[in-house]
Amino acid sequence: MLTYRVGPFSVRLRTPLHDLIQLVRWCYGTNVDAEPRDLALFNVAVEKGSLSRRLFAPQAVFRTDSETPFQPFPRDHAFALLEWGLNWCIATRAHQYLMLHSAALERDGHALILPAIPGSGKSTLAAALALSGWRLLSDEFGLLDWKTGLLQPVPRAIPLKNDSIEIIRRFSPQADLGPVFPRTRKGDVAHLRPDKQALSRDMETVRPAWIVFPRYRAGSSVRLTPLPRHLAFVRLSQNAFNYRLIGVAGFAAVEHVVDTCSCWSAEYGGLDSILSALDRLPSPAP
Amino acid sequence: MSLLLQALRRPGTVRDLSLSAWDRLLREVHAHRLGGRLSCLLERHGVEADCPALVGHDLDAQRCFARYKQSQVRLELRKLNKALAPVGVPMLLLKGAAYALADLEVARGRDFADVDIMVPRTQLETAETALERGGWLSETRDRYDQRYYRRWMHELPPLHHRTRLLEVDVHHALLPLTGRVRPDPELLWAASRPLPDSPYRVLCPEDMLLHSAAQLFQDGEIAGDLSGLLDLHQLMQELGDEAGFWDRLLPRAEQLELGRPLYYALRYCRRLLDTPVPNEVMRAAEAFAPGQLNGRLMDLLVPRVLEPRYPTRRPAHISAWLLYLRSHWLRMPPGLLALHLLRKGLRRGSH
Repeated sequence: MLTYRVGPFSVRLRTPLHDLIQLVRWCYGTNVDAEPRDLALFNVAVEKGSLSRRLFAPQAVFRTDSETPFQPFPRDHAFALLEWGLNWCIATRAHQYLMLHSAALERDGHALILPAIPGSGKSTLAAALALSGWRLLSDEFGLLDWKTGLLQPVPRAIPLKNDSIEIIRRFSPQADLGPVFPRTRKGDVAHLRPDKQALSRDMETVRPAWIVFPRYRAGSSVRLTPLPRHLAFVRLSQNAFNYRLIGVAGFAAVEHVVDTCSCWSAEYGGLDSILSALDRLPSPAP
Repeated sequence: MSLLLQALRRPGTVRDLSLSAWDRLLREVHAHRLGGRLSCLLERHGVEADCPALVGHDLDAQRCFARYKQSQVRLELRKLNKALAPVGVPMLLLKGAAYALADLEVARGRDFADVDIMVPRTQLETAETALERGGWLSETRDRYDQRYYRRWMHELPPLHHRTRLLEVDVHHALLPLTGRVRPDPELLWAASRPLPDSPYRVLCPEDMLLHSAAQLFQDGEIAGDLSGLLDLHQLMQELGDEAGFWDRLLPRAEQLELGRPLYYALRYCRRLLDTPVPNEVMRAAEAFAPGQLNGRLMDLLVPRVLEPRYPTRRPAHISAWLLYLRSHWLRMPPGLLALHLLRKGLRRGSH
């Protein structure tokens, strides 16, 4: 059994799979067993599948206390399963936040929100930014505390898919990637682990300053266009997992973040050009 | 005793919990989906600040979720009314929908599995046609299931609107037509009250409690339904304050043939949740008690399946199974029951 912290959440994991424990320790390093083990929010287990499957095509099963949300995965993919399982735990439970389906990063005390739309290349972009001096707040969940308007970090492994794995390897020799899990339901997946800074500062909340809706188009040169507030509002509210669920508070939170951030849509064809464009985003007036 | 039960009995006691006790409590709360309700109870007793931050945030989040479900229930009711009012079918709200719209304490933070309404039996067909036209679909197409509901049950097969997820149960009686007791719906309608500033009606306070008791102890499988027991507990606390409530309760139970489930409700609420039932009411309710053997068996089984055990202790499977058989026994005469269980068993086997 081990306990680890991912931002405001704590996980207690029971599993007989030693490889999995090693990967969790590799990925979450200093945040493993950092908390008192007495109290955890998510009690999860990754178990070996049914007896008949242990000999032939062994499986891994993700369970919470009362639910088994997914079909079993091949045993070798246990870490990917665990990561997806925790996404599910957060998405179904953390309604104290407006959960944006966004990556979020910090520079000089200001947060950049990168909402995901299919094909936006959000994870690749977040990985590249995290490898270029930005602090990773989150790859999957932009947790906006709607009581304070601040973003809560939840630094997790960034799952890179298919071609992105090679792109990030080439982008930075420092990229610390885990094993490649071939042919998962989302294709080949390898995880980039969050760096020490992201992990150790995971309770430092940040005020959002920029919202950029990225879109990757092969061969295109980078272009940032200011996005009118009403469009940013609609797009961001549609991007949140639980916008309707938190009702009026969700409306107010989106309105506030859109009003206080500079909002852009970005088209890009290469990592280097979009990165320098994002670096040049004007800092908000103090 | 389970920590959740302890917290529901005396919310103030959470002040003294250790971190590992909070951990256990949180898991029990989550497995029983009672986070929203516990959050409201702790707030009411002024101890919500005593939760560790992690627990406080989680309970808050569950409360948000409950509030959302409640707004969905209100929306569904407005839509149902829009479909049923033009054809002159009145709506009597049951269970959670009634508690929420009547703004009762018991509705605070409560989760909703479905929306339950009752319509007069004579207008059942009109209602069904109107709902079909309004876009509600039957959830089951299976012919046996359809017949099961229509011939033997007290409600239509579950419906849901094709653009929404919430299940709607349209009742025409409180308990199955094949059951051992069948309270007369006419009596319920006659005593029902209009809800101020709304097109809906709700049961009178005594009937509201009796229905809740019947739901758990006559028609229900009991096991794991701590939420149902908490409904009873909170209804007794709140409705019990109304003048004359306790005096009217027992005669009304007799009239509706619901004395036995009421007896169980009073007994187990008192035993498990320490509900303030007046002593003379408890004594008078003894008239509805089961035989000695039956009573002892229930005393043995009911606390075992209602007290939260899962996920921190092994669930009481055998007790739950016995009470499951009991619930079916009360629903149908033995011959029909045998056929129904055989049919269900075969179907499970073929899947």
